[in-house]
Amino acid sequence: MENEKKKFMKKSEIFTFGIGLFGVALLTGWMPDYTQTFFADFAFKGKGFDSAAISSSISTVFLAAGIIGAVIELITGFLIDNTRTKLGKVKPWIGFGSIPMAIIAMLIFVAPNTNNQTLAIIWMYIVYSLYTAIGCAVERPAECFGALCSPEPSERSSAISIASFMKSVGQSGGMVVVMAVGLIMKSIMGQQQFKNAEAQGLDLIISTAVCALGFIIFVMIFFVNNKERVPFTREKVSLKDAVKVVFTNKNLLMVSLTKLTGFGRGVYGTVSLYIAIYLLGSKDLKLALLLPMGIGTAVGTLLVNFVLKKFSTKQTFIIFCVYGATSLAILYFVATGIGFRSALIIPFLILNFFCGIQHGNTNVTPNIMIADCVDEIEWKTGKRQEGTAYAGYGLFAKIASAFTKALGPWLLYTWSGYLVSTDANVAYAAQSDATLNKFLMIYTIIPAIFVIFQGLPILFYDMVGEKKERITKELMERRAAAENAEPEGAIQTGEEV
Amino acid sequence: MANNKKEFNYKLYGIFAVVIVAAALIALTLYAYTSRYTALSPEKTAQLYVDTIVQNGDGYNAYKNSLLSYDKKFGDFIRENYIYPEIYENYKPGESTKGLKGLNDKSLKGENTLNDDGTLQGKVTDKMYPEFVRLITENKGFDNYDLIFKSYISELKKVRKEIFGDDYFDDEAFFKAFEANLLKYGESLTGCEDEFDKNTGVQLKKAVTGSYQTAFGKDYEIKSEAVSSEDAEIPDISEYGIDAEIAEAKTVKVNLTVSGNSVSEDARPLTNGIEITVVRIGHSWYVANKSCDTSALYNIGK
Repeated sequence: MENEKKKFMKKSEIFTFGIGLFGVALLTGWMPDYTQTFFADFAFKGKGFDSAAISSSISTVFLAAGIIGAVIELITGFLIDNTRTKLGKVKPWIGFGSIPMAIIAMLIFVAPNTNNQTLAIIWMYIVYSLYTAIGCAVERPAECFGALCSPEPSERSSAISIASFMKSVGQSGGMVVVMAVGLIMKSIMGQQQFKNAEAQGLDLIISTAVCALGFIIFVMIFFVNNKERVPFTREKVSLKDAVKVVFTNKNLLMVSLTKLTGFGRGVYGTVSLYIAIYLLGSKDLKLALLLPMGIGTAVGTLLVNFVLKKFSTKQTFIIFCVYGATSLAILYFVATGIGFRSALIIPFLILNFFCGIQHGNTNVTPNIMIADCVDEIEWKTGKRQEGTAYAGYGLFAKIASAFTKALGPWLLYTWSGYLVSTDANVAYAAQSDATLNKFLMIYTIIPAIFVIFQGLPILFYDMVGEKKERITKELMERRAAAENAEPEGAIQTGEEV
Repeated sequence: MANNKKEFNYKLYGIFAVVIVAAALIALTLYAYTSRYTALSPEKTAQLYVDTIVQNGDGYNAYKNSLLSYDKKFGDFIRENYIYPEIYENYKPGESTKGLKGLNDKSLKGENTLNDDGTLQGKVTDKMYPEFVRLITENKGFDNYDLIFKSYISELKKVRKEIFGDDYFDDEAFFKAFEANLLKYGESLTGCEDEFDKNTGVQLKKAVTGSYQTAFGKDYEIKSEAVSSEDAEIPDISEYGIDAEIAEAKTVKVNLTVSGNSVSEDARPLTNGIEITVVRIGHSWYVANKSCDTSALYNIGK
């Protein structure tokens, strides 16, 4: 058929790319929250340390690790773009970085047996910063691989969307692991002995080992089976080039800016516990609240792939933004219409599923757009810079995340007029209707506004349609010409295409 | 044409990576497990039992390492032996409560129970505290747990009815009141600081000087250490009502020392040492609590 596009990837490669990202997400999704819990509650239990000092240290440990992560993010991107080996450009980072990453992740959960509080705090800084640094040097290349898996954009888009789905599933995999580990421990040890072991954080330690083992197995399956199919360019990328490309390529900047303009989308997470308590009647419903949204996100991630077959990345992104804002607004109006009573629970949870679908877009489409931007940058400059492009996007994501973490608590504790219980016997004080309504707004309307803001930069994105096809075609011609000019294969992917 | 260049062997590297990481993970997990899980060592089991009691006067949670918790959660042991017999008529420990109707039936909940935001429950807890202290003081600790639980629950039912105005009673009523009393009792020994809500600045808890602080100074530190371990006669397990075979028994001597600003010597011995009998079932060690006398631990600082 005339329109039949050439396939570069083996069918199994599309699947094993997803397996690889699933493995990476299994560990990276598990680590931050459970590290925090382990440091706070278990690492130095019974040592008599000042809990307030340990708590404040944990905050600064994570702040420091965040800053280190942002710096390492850019450095890794720059180094990836200057990596030219027979194994490829990003694969060596993934293949050789995953061994230390798995072991350091495990070391976090093997706290030193010390009675010296200062030593304990120093250990937390060192071990978690080390994990963050090595994590960036593996996670970022793994994401970059999407831009290198095929020179054909449609094939690449399919691979990225399937891998993104697997990644989003992998991010929640740790929750399943800790549940399964708990059940197995209970059946072996008995109820109370399991409780005693749990009190020492042993279920977390074993779960980390399981996640780290899953990580190395899945990443190695990917490493063995997948090949980089896009030849790398020979020009050296300077640090100046790397930083410049993040801020001067219009399309890449617009994709990255979606993170900043949409930073308030995530504030719903801050209020979800209070929504469960005050609007749905029980804090146990927090999981029930987030589960439909999580399922919606997974469904949305698959749905994006179908939408992308009919619409461009730009149109898909905007469609999902409009859908997302609308679904959140509907949730707000339905909730205020029914009122905060038990009759609200079922409609609220159902609508929560539909609100989750929009997140599939933010998991998939920007990654495809960045891969397209990498093509555009190569077309314009002759330099292929996957590393820098994904690192730049990651940097914007980290800044946006910091804004979200600042805005969420301010909205919840200050803007909403939240009253804290002053009675030791009352966990959560009664709130006024105005406060409850503001809780609902933090969960729905405010994220909806930011979902719209998130779509605004994409209005200026133009790596679509005829331009994208022309660039793809010209790049393929250039690569073919370069290959013919250097038949010995001194450049390229390090592996046959 | 033969290719003389050595190709990178992905499969071999992949297997190497998985094997090396798996070995490291197993070694680290085993290390963490054996160093943290106390039930694998008779000395650690005994030391934890004593330490839990002496640090906070908490003989209740210490039982979680004892034979009372061998085949079930300690909470379930209390439910089956002390709470359910008060809720369901003619209930026998070990029976299922499925289909039974008792005082935890929702129809017995009065207006006060249905609408309580925690205020009335707080009143129950406060009113039960003197009874809690009396039971611990008169019985010199928790060794006589049977009498303590029976007496406490009996009194709790009366106090709850008086404050809530209905006959409703469930396991939560016991655990909420008892554990809050236990916490307060612990603070009467260790002392506690003022506590303020970090958002509003409202004071949640007032500072209390504990009896340990009065005796040893504000910066006191009590340390427990298992100093000896000897084979012991295997105790009669039938009185615990459990079906298990004891592989061995040991008597572990645990010494206690205290240090602090008001303590004349650096580490003053607190007792002559407490002897704890522990038994091994399978790979795990349990405290044979009925063979132990911990009353001396409740006299510290008094």
